[in-house]
Amino acid sequence: MTNSLGPILSAHNLCVESLGGKESFPVLTDLNFSLQPGKILGLVGESGAGKSMIGRTISQYLPNGFAVTRGTLEFDGEDLVSMAPERRRSLLGRDIAFIPQEPLSGLNPVLSVGQQMKEHLLRIGLAPGENWRERALKEFEAVHLPHGAALLDKYPHQLSGGMCQRILIAMAFASRPRLLIADEPTTALDVTIQARIVKLIAEMQKRDGTAVIFITHDLRLASQISDEIMVLYAGRPAERGPAKQLFSAPAHPYTRCLQLANPTISGPRRGLFILPERMPGLRVLKELKGCRFASRCPNAVEACTESEPPLADIGPNHIAACIRTEKTPEIVPPPLAPGRQATSAKAHLLGEKLTKAYTTAWSPFARRSSFKAVNSVDFTLGEGEFVGIVGESGSGKSSLARLVVGLDTPTEGRITLAGRDVTANGNVEKAYRREYIQMVFQDPQSALNPRRRIGSIVTQANEATGLNNDTRERMERAAELLKEIGLPPDAAMRFPSQLSGGQKQRVNIARALCTLPRILVADEIVSGLDVSVQAQLLDLLLKLRDEHGFSMLFISHDLSVVRYLCDRVMVMYRGEVVESGKTETVFADPQHPYTRSLLAAVPPDDVNMEWSPVLSEASYQVE
Amino acid sequence: MRPDPFPDIVIRGKRMFATIAKLLVKRVLTAIPILLIVSALLFCILRILPVDPAAMSLPPNATVEEVEAMRTEMGLDRPLYEQYGIWLGKLLEGDVGRSIHFRQDVTSLIGSTLPATIELAVIAMVVATIFGLAGGLFLFYVRGTRAEAVMDFFSILLLSLPEFLWSLFLLLIFGVFFEVLPFTGRLSPGFERPVVTGFLLIDSLVTGNISTFFNALQHMILPCLALGIALSPSLMRVLRSSLLDAYQDDYIQQARLRGLSEKRILIRHGLKNAILPTLSLMGVQFGFLFGGTLLVEIIYSYPGMGNLMVDAIRNADLPIIQGAGLTYCIAVLVISIVVDSLYLILNPKLRVR
Repeated sequence: MTNSLGPILSAHNLCVESLGGKESFPVLTDLNFSLQPGKILGLVGESGAGKSMIGRTISQYLPNGFAVTRGTLEFDGEDLVSMAPERRRSLLGRDIAFIPQEPLSGLNPVLSVGQQMKEHLLRIGLAPGENWRERALKEFEAVHLPHGAALLDKYPHQLSGGMCQRILIAMAFASRPRLLIADEPTTALDVTIQARIVKLIAEMQKRDGTAVIFITHDLRLASQISDEIMVLYAGRPAERGPAKQLFSAPAHPYTRCLQLANPTISGPRRGLFILPERMPGLRVLKELKGCRFASRCPNAVEACTESEPPLADIGPNHIAACIRTEKTPEIVPPPLAPGRQATSAKAHLLGEKLTKAYTTAWSPFARRSSFKAVNSVDFTLGEGEFVGIVGESGSGKSSLARLVVGLDTPTEGRITLAGRDVTANGNVEKAYRREYIQMVFQDPQSALNPRRRIGSIVTQANEATGLNNDTRERMERAAELLKEIGLPPDAAMRFPSQLSGGQKQRVNIARALCTLPRILVADEIVSGLDVSVQAQLLDLLLKLRDEHGFSMLFISHDLSVVRYLCDRVMVMYRGEVVESGKTETVFADPQHPYTRSLLAAVPPDDVNMEWSPVLSEASYQVE
Repeated sequence: MRPDPFPDIVIRGKRMFATIAKLLVKRVLTAIPILLIVSALLFCILRILPVDPAAMSLPPNATVEEVEAMRTEMGLDRPLYEQYGIWLGKLLEGDVGRSIHFRQDVTSLIGSTLPATIELAVIAMVVATIFGLAGGLFLFYVRGTRAEAVMDFFSILLLSLPEFLWSLFLLLIFGVFFEVLPFTGRLSPGFERPVVTGFLLIDSLVTGNISTFFNALQHMILPCLALGIALSPSLMRVLRSSLLDAYQDDYIQQARLRGLSEKRILIRHGLKNAILPTLSLMGVQFGFLFGGTLLVEIIYSYPGMGNLMVDAIRNADLPIIQGAGLTYCIAVLVISIVVDSLYLILNPKLRVR
């Protein structure tokens, strides 16, 4: 059955185009690769680069109007594109398996885990005399899911993201597939869970000799687990090569820039390389003559804009689409902005023994129970200081932020803001707090009112104070703010839907800065964004601090970002602060075992260093 | 061995029963204050009306003394809260009073008309559900094609016609023009009318009276079609849009990537999720249907609660209005409990947290 000699999946000059609509434009261009059985190919690139489109091309579930216009895509010698749909469907789920990005929505909410597992197992076929239930338990055991029998009766909403992802992995590997496509399988998960899931996929892949396409935007993660990496830029491979070689000596300037845009987790802190602007839209590419990366490339010269550079060999199995690969190592990050310690020792914001307990709703049928989301937390925030709060989801980071900005009132403890007790959180305290603190929310998509223009959104704070609230004054202030965050002045008249994700997050920041608060509380404001956009935003925050001198509580699950941005860090675990101190000290010499396990879960900067996350099963639990 | 992280949640079987029983107890308990408030409102509003029940129950040539005596006899000279207390006390004994106009117990009047209306509403709802589900599935199936635009046009056309227009329309075509279906009352003259439960269709079947059964069924076709057609477009549209929503979700894509057939994905994954919003709309519609049969009953001279209510209002027959009002209230409460129980069975998110 398995043709063990040839590649399991190979693409030759594969092109996918969008043909629907008024004009056609290329989505994937000149894709060439071959994946051997048992190997892992990492696909890396910014959003919109066409990473996910490869998975969709393999399954041939392309968006409306998209079609393969040239080239071949062969699975074990059979062309997937021209194959009869029935034949392709019989391969899906059996020989070709998929692991989705969002584990919670990848399972049907109204069917129990057992019902879904049974459906899948019956489709892929059981051994004669085998009971689906026993088989399901066996598969759960393989992915280290405890209490399999109880799990079968669960519904997805009762489980954590990590558990759902394990169930999906168990399903994917149940048929011992020959090819697995994992599309950003860990993006939605915590670092510690990410480490476990990635290690699990690698373990299962070894067991079955499965070939894997691992799609991610994290070059560091890809280089840790892949044998080969392909970096995509605007639908075309920029560079492809053996993972370690590509990561330690990137040949294409884009790969190098991506690497330098990501903050490090160990060693001396360095500045971030800021990739300007963003990837050209696919529609624009048709008109483009030269290299598609030229407009953002630090090494671009005249010749780059003349013709599309071919993918040239630059080493064994290593190719790159650049005419000046020898110049790539010269790209260096800018010097690190000088760290800024608190300008005065005086605490600007002071939290003492803060506790927030949530109690279940009253019901005549159940005893009320309560749990402490935030438990006796002490913290200070000095003037001009950036303090990071890290921890897994459920550790109480966001609950603490809500207490600080006054969205919730603490059950116990005291909050002092610029010398005044604001714990009571009445109308007087709220008004006082508004002047001092503003919050930046995580998801700009839902934080910005889609029916208001940007100019009105960023000056929303003036409505509350009533100061400078006439149209002319607000438009003037909006223009100033847009200039500060690096958006063109005409953006003031646009709606949020007309901006990119990164631009929306800038607007989100600008809105918080409108009345020049002294403190910003930022909850996961760079998660879910591309590294290039993330670098732009981090840089913007530092620049704005230099201009306005505000301080910030920065909540993030990304430790390298906190390491880059923050002066001090607090590590939270189950509502308590388990460790805090100067960022560099805590990261270089963590004292608490939890901090150590968090740090170990981050893929190391050096690709030759062994990545050994703590894979203790102790923290698997129902959320 | 670590402790089981899911100690006491087993969902199907006994546990599901217990959850539904819990809901029933809870809803019945909350229904009591609701009924008390509704009864008080009914009592007060009708007392404020400029109608004198005592004068109405006497012949027009009665003297002022006779009216006064009647008032005392009926307890109308006592304070309002006392009157309410007496009325409520009788209500609990099942005595809603006597109709002034029909000179009959209100309970027996409602008892004879309520089954007719329930029969009408249930069959109309079945018709609406069949049309709504079929239409919604078809609308979804032809999504993105020209047929969708055409279907869309017709579903809006259907939606914009009220049920009484459908009634007249169907009556003229099938009743008057083609003369294929009867269009007055519940039964043609000359048919034996068995009485067991009051539900004509059930009674005729139970007593083995097949010809009565078919005659009654024929009488129901036109009014039920009219109501069903009027209700179905909104069901169609809700089902279609919830299916479209469900198909946006990852689990549908994931089911495809596992190689499941489109038919299986639609029925087991898509429809199972999309039916939930449709079901809650059906609950609301069914509640409205009880009051909404009124015009249709009049057009088809159908002897149900709607016709009784119209007569009662026309004659300012307070006891009937009160009784009918309470009956509607109870019907709506019962329907909402049934719909909530169904929801509980179909949606695990409500059942287990």
